[in-house]
Amino acid sequence: MKKQVAVIGAGMTLFRRKLKETGKELSFLATKMAMEEAGIQKDEIDMVVMGSAPDAFDGIHMKGENLLDGAAAVGKPYVRVFNGGGTGVFAPIAGWWHVASGVADVCLVVCEEKMGSCYPHPQTAFRHIWDPILDRPLNPNLVWLFAMEMNRYMTVHNIKKEDIALVAVKNKRNAVGHPCAQLADPNITVEDVLNSEVMAWPVQRLDISPPSDGASALIFCSEDVVHKFTDDPIWVAGVGWNIDSTMWTNRDLYFPRYVANAAKMAYKMAGITNPPKEIDFAEPYDPFDYKELHHMEGLLLCKKGEAPILTREGVTQRDGDLPICPSGGLLGVGNPIAATMGQKVCELYWQLAGKAGKRQIPGDPRVGVGQAWGDIMQMATVMILKR
Amino acid sequence: MSEEEKRQFEGYPKYAPGTHVRDKHIYNKEITYTWWEPEVQYSWSLGPAMSRFLQELKAGKIIGKKCNTCDRVIVPPRMFCEYCYNPTGEWVYLKDTGTVETFSISYLDPDARRIEEPILIGVISIDGAAPKHGFMHYFGEMKPEELKIGMRVKAVWKPENERTGSITDIKYFRPLRGDEE
Amino acid sequence: MTFTEKQTDPTSPMHWRGDMQADYLYPSGIAGDKFFKHLKEHDSFLATKCSKCGKILFPPRLYCEDCFEEIPESNWIEVPASGTVKLFTVATINAHGKKLEEPKVIGLINIDNTDGCLLGIIKTTDYGKDFIGVKVKAVLKPQNEREGTLKDVLYFEEY
Repeated sequence: MKKQVAVIGAGMTLFRRKLKETGKELSFLATKMAMEEAGIQKDEIDMVVMGSAPDAFDGIHMKGENLLDGAAAVGKPYVRVFNGGGTGVFAPIAGWWHVASGVADVCLVVCEEKMGSCYPHPQTAFRHIWDPILDRPLNPNLVWLFAMEMNRYMTVHNIKKEDIALVAVKNKRNAVGHPCAQLADPNITVEDVLNSEVMAWPVQRLDISPPSDGASALIFCSEDVVHKFTDDPIWVAGVGWNIDSTMWTNRDLYFPRYVANAAKMAYKMAGITNPPKEIDFAEPYDPFDYKELHHMEGLLLCKKGEAPILTREGVTQRDGDLPICPSGGLLGVGNPIAATMGQKVCELYWQLAGKAGKRQIPGDPRVGVGQAWGDIMQMATVMILKR
Repeated sequence: MSEEEKRQFEGYPKYAPGTHVRDKHIYNKEITYTWWEPEVQYSWSLGPAMSRFLQELKAGKIIGKKCNTCDRVIVPPRMFCEYCYNPTGEWVYLKDTGTVETFSISYLDPDARRIEEPILIGVISIDGAAPKHGFMHYFGEMKPEELKIGMRVKAVWKPENERTGSITDIKYFRPLRGDEE
Repeated sequence: MTFTEKQTDPTSPMHWRGDMQADYLYPSGIAGDKFFKHLKEHDSFLATKCSKCGKILFPPRLYCEDCFEEIPESNWIEVPASGTVKLFTVATINAHGKKLEEPKVIGLINIDNTDGCLLGIIKTTDYGKDFIGVKVKAVLKPQNEREGTLKDVLYFEEY
């Protein structure tokens, strides 16, 4: 019998290209903030899950073991989970397993990333995701991969760059209310995005979220003990995760079917049959502006090819009918891979609890969906929270 | 962080702990750090499928392998089909022509440094294989604006004595001329 | 499931060589930066005291990982750059398996007045000696050559 799982606290550090703190110190700062909000002490936490993407960014082999001091995990059952960019939502899913299964009453989830340690650029470490025999001899840059997917998506649905650039503008403006934001910009326009330098056509500089250092934390507790912490809990309604083949050159990239599979799994668990009507807001993964649109369709929040139309019509603004990335997303707040849990799940929690301050969605949001995406266009992780 | 700073932002997160450092702080040694250059070498096993694929590339041919259950010829070839999870069957020689599935025009080199002359890269589905099945490679003998999804292309090979059994035995794919179809 | 082919030709390609190309810059962190900056100017170490459990943590850190309490500025204390050898080993080969010209004695040294240790090379010619319990002190680089990393500690020697 699965237990119901609630979120009782969340925390995030500053996100910047390079931070002075070590990975452990960042984990500590995020965890402390979450513990303060939940009003909980270290010994009340039963188990800890650490989410952190490749060791190659921080440059510390087995970094899960290195970071645990800062994640209040000394002397506790501990596990590190990792599936590339999907970790930001997969780590909370793993935290959910711990509590829903009944083995823990309280589980802390911490996500951390230090991309600033990798020289000359995190791309150098990222490059090792390519197949050593088929791809690496061609000396590829990871941006090429996203550029190719963006091109395919734009061509199949005949989407103009102007509509995609609207996403970057929306998210960077949304991020103005976020204290941790790395790239908030209240004045950015579509022209700014279209005039930014071309990295790998069709991707331009302002289409991409930056590499960042940062950490975030989330605390889950079971229905049995939630009364000790809050009278108005935010519950986990559904989780889903799915992965597609590594052979990305054998797939049509215009639609992320693995996102749809993960979303269906989560919606089924949450009893949601009509996502566009029943979901109040969403935080899809937006490391690139076109990815927000790609994932909106993957999450079945609209028909294939419809996402840019909804964006153009203002439906996805914070005060629209279906706010998307009210936190400012990765484009506005930053992209420390796993620590993006801060914008994807912690934000769902803060919005539903009415605690998002300047970023708060008007009205009475009751159900939100968060999603992350990783590896070579493969992994999708989805979590639905509700009040 | 003082209580004053903590109350700066309404709502959660209430404050943003962390200390931003810039490249100049590092060049000027205003913060201490440790520099390390790992020396890691790898020798990856190719496996029978990749081994044969590279051998055939050296001979100037592209080869795929058939999954009889799914009825699809897979390229790059593999020993098992990841969809039906059965061992694959016979080897199938493919043409060295194909169709552009997607592409990018890159002004970045592998380490994210800017370059003047763009690199043309994309995915080509190979004639003779299952639809949409192919691999990534360069494009050449065309201007960036000529590159389109759906374009028909042909492999340009290195001379026989320069081929080593690598994906780079193909130099790039060039536009297929009308009379070559 | 078994594959339908065996690899029988010893001349066909079997391996692909490559390497990992990335370098790393590890910032010392808030606590580490304080420690190394102090070491640049002084011939002593810094440690931190946890108000809750009373442990003197070395290497010094921002928080005590057992109590999970942040350590305030006022709890940083200066300790001598010396200690007692708790454990040691004598290495005769290097990291790549090649024989060293001279054996190296590596010790885990409990730094004086702290509950923590530092790993260090113990300079000696007596490779058969039992170093446990031996008092050693750190020999540091000349002050103007210190860089703010652990390499500023050249080695430890008996005193």
